[in-house]
Amino acid sequence: MSSSASKRLFKEYRMLSSDAPDGITAGPVSEDDMFVWEALIQGPEGTPFEGGVFPAELKFPKDYPLAPPKMKFCVDVWHPNVYPNGEVCISILHPPGDDPHHYEQASERWSPIQSVEKILISVMSMLAEPNDESPANVDAARMWRERRQEYEGRVRENVRKSLGL
Amino acid sequence: MAEQTLNVPQLIVFVILAVLAIRWFMAKPSNVTRPSTTRTVRVNPSQIDQIAQMFPQMNRRDIAWDLQRNGGNVAATTEKVLSGRTLDPAPESFNPPPQRSNPTSRTATPTPKPAQTDLITRYNLASKLSAAPESSTSDSQTKQKTWSQDRNERQANLQRRREEMILAARRKMEEKDRAKTAGAAVS
Repeated sequence: MSSSASKRLFKEYRMLSSDAPDGITAGPVSEDDMFVWEALIQGPEGTPFEGGVFPAELKFPKDYPLAPPKMKFCVDVWHPNVYPNGEVCISILHPPGDDPHHYEQASERWSPIQSVEKILISVMSMLAEPNDESPANVDAARMWRERRQEYEGRVRENVRKSLGL
Repeated sequence: MAEQTLNVPQLIVFVILAVLAIRWFMAKPSNVTRPSTTRTVRVNPSQIDQIAQMFPQMNRRDIAWDLQRNGGNVAATTEKVLSGRTLDPAPESFNPPPQRSNPTSRTATPTPKPAQTDLITRYNLASKLSAAPESSTSDSQTKQKTWSQDRNERQANLQRRREEMILAARRKMEEKDRAKTAGAAVS
């Protein structure tokens, strides 16, 4: 089971390395363990995240791709769909049948035909367009809804801080 | 008068005897209890977990102490708590069995916040910051869309792409800052 998982991860790594989408760099931290990856995502243009680079850790289960990985940002990301500890909460990272509230359609959720690339692209568009139906960070969601200026200011501040400025 | 002078040495003897007696009594309990605690069975940590999960407000030490004294009877301790009696506080000398490294309740444990280091420190890029951007990386942005057959080379390529991405972002931000301050100076 785990050998087929690491084979698949290796294949995804090769595809991401030879033909990476713009603004995304991802690969295993070390090839000794294909189940822990580090990804860098560029902040989408035209959003307060623009200009930033956001590192995240991806942890894959042994039965990947049957179950989705977990994704966690390694810097402060003030966003309605990112938990204060950095964990990302979007539908593609949820296995089908795991949503008791029925916020998400089954087609949006994880399935073996998804991929790391699709996750990272989804996270990029999540940064641009938060989904405040089921917020992971309630304070950020409220600020995003009610005090957009303050929200954007805080995000920009975090971006500068993460670049060491 | 004669009676009183006789009393002085008697009094001294009495005081010495009293001190010895008190010291003997004070020393006695600790001498007796110590072997008894070591004699009783160590409490199974899973039993403590079991009760601690039912009553998260209880102190683990007190739970362990109560279990220790009733011989690991979970039901008795549970009964005691449910009936509203408070568990006796565990004495200082009591060493409860260590909590298992992997606590069974995963939901309640808050995950620590990520370490707050910026990307430059995180990826050790401070030395590369001052270096002028290489001509190839600055304009043409030749993305190393390469896949090496060699494992170490692959790793190095990935590392380089990461570093370039961060350095590029940093330089862009610095340029923006410079443009902004320049604009402010003009106006």
